[in-house]
This record gives sequence, C-alpha cells and structure tokens, in this order.
Amino acid sequence: MFYDILVYGFIQSLALVLMAFGFSLVYGVSRLPNFAHGAIYVLTGFVAWVFFKQAGLPYFVAAVLAIAAAGLLGVLIYYLILKRVRGMEVSEVIATYAIGLALLEGLRYLGFRGSTYTLPPALDGVSFIFDVPVDHQRIFLVVLGFAMLATIWLLTKYTRIGRALKGVAQDERAAMMLGIDSDVTAAIAVALGSMLAGVAALIIFPLGSLVVEEGYKVLIYAIAVCVVGGLGSWAGTVMAAFVLGYSQYITVAYGKPHFQMVVMLLAIIATLIIRPSGFFGRQKQLQERV
Amino acid sequence: MLEASGVMVFYENMLALNNIDLNCPDNGVIGIFGANSAGKSTLMYALSGIILDIQHKEKMRGGERISLFGEIRHNGEAITGLKAHQRAQRGIVLCPERRRLFPESSVFENLAIGGHLATRAQARETMAFVMELFPALKKLTRRAAGFLSGGEQQMVAIGRALMAQPKVLLLDEPLLGLAPSIQHIVVESIPQIRKERNISVIVTEQYARPVIPYVDYAYIIENGSAVMEGTSRELFENPDIKAAYFGCG
Ligand SMILES: Nc1ncnc2c1ncn2[C@@H]1O[C@H](COP(=O)(O)OP(=O)(O)OP(=O)(O)O)[C@@H](O)[C@H]1O
Ligand SMILES: [Mg+2]
Repeated sequence: MFYDILVYGFIQSLALVLMAFGFSLVYGVSRLPNFAHGAIYVLTGFVAWVFFKQAGLPYFVAAVLAIAAAGLLGVLIYYLILKRVRGMEVSEVIATYAIGLALLEGLRYLGFRGSTYTLPPALDGVSFIFDVPVDHQRIFLVVLGFAMLATIWLLTKYTRIGRALKGVAQDERAAMMLGIDSDVTAAIAVALGSMLAGVAALIIFPLGSLVVEEGYKVLIYAIAVCVVGGLGSWAGTVMAAFVLGYSQYITVAYGKPHFQMVVMLLAIIATLIIRPSGFFGRQKQLQERV
Repeated sequence: MLEASGVMVFYENMLALNNIDLNCPDNGVIGIFGANSAGKSTLMYALSGIILDIQHKEKMRGGERISLFGEIRHNGEAITGLKAHQRAQRGIVLCPERRRLFPESSVFENLAIGGHLATRAQARETMAFVMELFPALKKLTRRAAGFLSGGEQQMVAIGRALMAQPKVLLLDEPLLGLAPSIQHIVVESIPQIRKERNISVIVTEQYARPVIPYVDYAYIIENGSAVMEGTSRELFENPDIKAAYFGCG
C-alpha cells in the first residue's frame, strides 16, 4: 500500500504538473486567467483523434499537428478576443470561460459524445517499480512532465523570447521600457500554454477515454494547483501539484476515487480563506527593497 | 535629438504637467529638477511612452481618466503615438524611479533581459562596458537582484537600460535613497556614459546639487510647470534657485 501510494501519487503529481503548467504560464506572463484551458486540452485530443482516425495520418504526425493547432488557436484567441478585454478582470474571466464553453459544447454538438473515443498510448507494456506494476504510458507521462519543465527552464534561460517572458512575468512595465512588446509576449504565452495543455491531453487521454467532460475537470484541477501554489508562481505550481497529487491519490488508495474533485475544490477554498496569495508563492524577502 | 512641445498631462482634472517644452540635443545631458510631486516622473513617462500604458490600463479597469496633449519628436519625427516598446526600439529608454529590477532574476539575467533589443555582439560588448562602469557588480552577477542593496540595484538598473542600446537614456531620480558615497559613483557614471556610448541623458532629481556639474542645461519644474530653465551656470547663479534646489543660501 505504501509503495503503491508513493509511485502512483508521484504519477498523479506529474499529471497535475502537465495539466496546470500551461495555465500557470499564461497567468504568470499576461495575468490572464485562461478559463478556456480545459477546453483547449480536450480539443487537442479530438483534433489528434480526427487526424489519426479519420485522416489516417501516423499517430506521431497527428499528435504534432494537433499540438501545433493548439498553439495557433492560442494566438488567435489572444489577438481576436483577449487583447481587447485584457485589464478588465471580470471580462477576462467571462471571455475565456465563454470560449471554453463554446469549444466544449461545440464538440458535443459535432457529435463527440460518449466514451467510444480513445487515443492510443505512445508505449505499451508494464514494468515494476518497488514491486508496483506501472504501465509504460504512465512512465512516459512522468518523463515527459520533467522534460517539459526542463524545456521551459532552458527556454527562459537561454533564448531571447524566453527571457522576455520571464521579464514580463516579473514586471511588465519595466520590460516595456526595455523594448519588449507585452502583446507579443502575451500571445506567445497563450500559445505556449495551449500547446502545453495539448501535450498533457495527448499523454493523459490514452489512460482513459476521450470525453468532453474532462475539459471542466482539467480546468478545475489546473486552477486548484495554481491557486494553492500561488497564481503566477511557476515553482509554486510544481510544489502544489505534488501536494495535491499525493492528496488525490491517497483518497483513491483508501477507496474514495470520487473524492478527487472534492480534494481539489476544498484546496481552492481553504487557500482562498487562509492564504489567498497561495502557499508556495514568491518569497516576501525577494520583493523589491526600497 | 528629442524634443517635447506643449506636453500636458491630466490625471482626471488634476494638471500634472502644464505645457512643457523641452529640448535634448544629441549627446547632451539635460537635468530636470523639482520637488516631490512636481511632475518629474510624469514627464519621464510622457517621454518614454509609459504614460500610454498607464492611460490604457486605467481605462480598461475603469479607473481614472488620463488626458494627454502636445507633441514629442525624435530626430524630427513625431513619436507621440508610439508605445513604450516602440520608443525603446528607437533608442528612448527609461530607467525608472525606484529601479524596478526583475527581483527574482540574477544580476546577469537582468542585464540579459535588458539586452532584448541588442544583437549578441552588442549585448556582450555592453555587458563588458557595464562591468567596467560599475566594477562592484562583477562579483554580484549571480545574486538575485531583489537581494541587492539600493545602490547596487541602481547600478544594475542603469546597466540594464544601457543593454537596450539607448540613444537617449532617461534616468528618473537615480540617486533616490542612496548614501552620498554611492551617489557619487552613480553620478560619475553619467559623463562616462555620455562620452563612451555617445548618447544623450535626461536625468531628474529633487536636489540639483550632486548632478548639476554634469548637466549642460536644466529645467526646473514646480507643480507641473517649467518655471525656469538655463545652462547649469545660469541656474547656479540665480539666488532663488540656489536656495531652493542647491540646499544652500
Ligand atoms: N497615476 C496617477 N494618478 C493620479 N495622480 C497622479 C498619478 N501619478 C502621479 N500623480 C500626481 O501627479 C503629480 C506629479 O507626480 P509625479 O510622480 O510625476 O511627481 P514627481 O516629481 O516624480 O515626484 P517624486 O519626486 O515624489 O517622484 C503628483 O501630484 C502626483 O500625486
Ligand atoms: Mg517621481
């Protein structure tokens, strides 16, 4: 039982990192809460399914195209809609939530209903870790989760665009003074966030079936992780994913899988009451000294 | 050459800048002196274009109405409508009041982010120049900027602005809150920047005394209006100005 929790809690934590990181990235850079995040996650899954099952492309190609489509959708959403409402907090939430609803209900309208849709796992087979059986898709998930974090880290350290994102995330106006266009960085952030949602979808969906309802679930999971971690704090997002991932898996291990959502909602409420800035937010000492 | 003519800024109905005319020639150093709330930062925001972002954000969140009038020209072209990042691309770079470093990034990373507009070669060259200008930064490159002292932060802020390859560097109260010994280092950097980078500098301060030896021409603003202007010598010899801005009778 202990090793079971250790291993599967770890996997669940990485799944949460994958689901939440895109949301956190978008918020960190552009201060836009992207309530369409879950819908983009689901949409990428279905786009990959269409390319794979209906267009007959090799799965790898279908996956790459679907992720590229998610990035393009992110850019369009930013320039067509979010740019115009940015700065009006209520409108940001309403607009992104409406986009999400339109995408998800649009998919349902097109007939993507029920649990007959599936995506193939990238890897088959099972290995034993501490005598706990783990299928290779879940191992792939963990590896890819870390690979994603490493890529983002390298991007923000060594590329011009990545550094611009990091600057804007810390002080948008100071970045503007240095010639950084905050609309471009915001559009890149939304595109990257959407692509990360897409990557998460293509890894996580093969573990179950491709259903529209996952969109709402993933959105709430992502929000829970980001709120507990401190909105906009990338390190906080990862730490919170581990706390919540283990909490969720413990409820599963004790036979209450339907409590997973309750754990997340309670975490959001508790954080907002006890410490609205999040439990792993930026350290106070690091704030500018006057 | 950076010129402003008839610049007015209203925060709601409060006139923060009243009909300001200003002229900064190539490779000149201009001083802008005024007490608290005189409008120095507002003028810097108007010149750098940050005021447009403030105006836009206030409008979006339903805050105060900010109205702008007048014209700003750079090398003869009107840039009044250009956003801050576009003006930075043209070489008008603001080093803001209270420095606004990226607190979680290291000194090196602050400078690297500052080099957004620079080519690789320019970034490398400017980085070396900054380390020569402020040797104290050499051993701090890996330290998080939020953990630096005020003086060190100011040096990084100036260095970061230089990384953006300015033609006109706007320094808003660079000496604010610094000990006299550090003030000295920061002030001394101004003539060096002017000479070695061949650029113009516009510097604001509450007290003119530490900076006046290095400026060619200065403006005194009170309650948003330019009440006096002249070469540093002319201002220094004016008894009223001397008492109010040089801290001696
Ligand atoms: N966003 C704003 N909304 C309303 N009033 C403002 C705003 N920013 C500045 N002001 C007002 O405009 C006037 C000029 O302010 P500004 O910050 O330009 O002065 P300053 O000369 O830079 O002062 P300090 O030396 O304190 O930095 C002040 O009366 C200030 O209260
Ligand atoms: Mg000021």
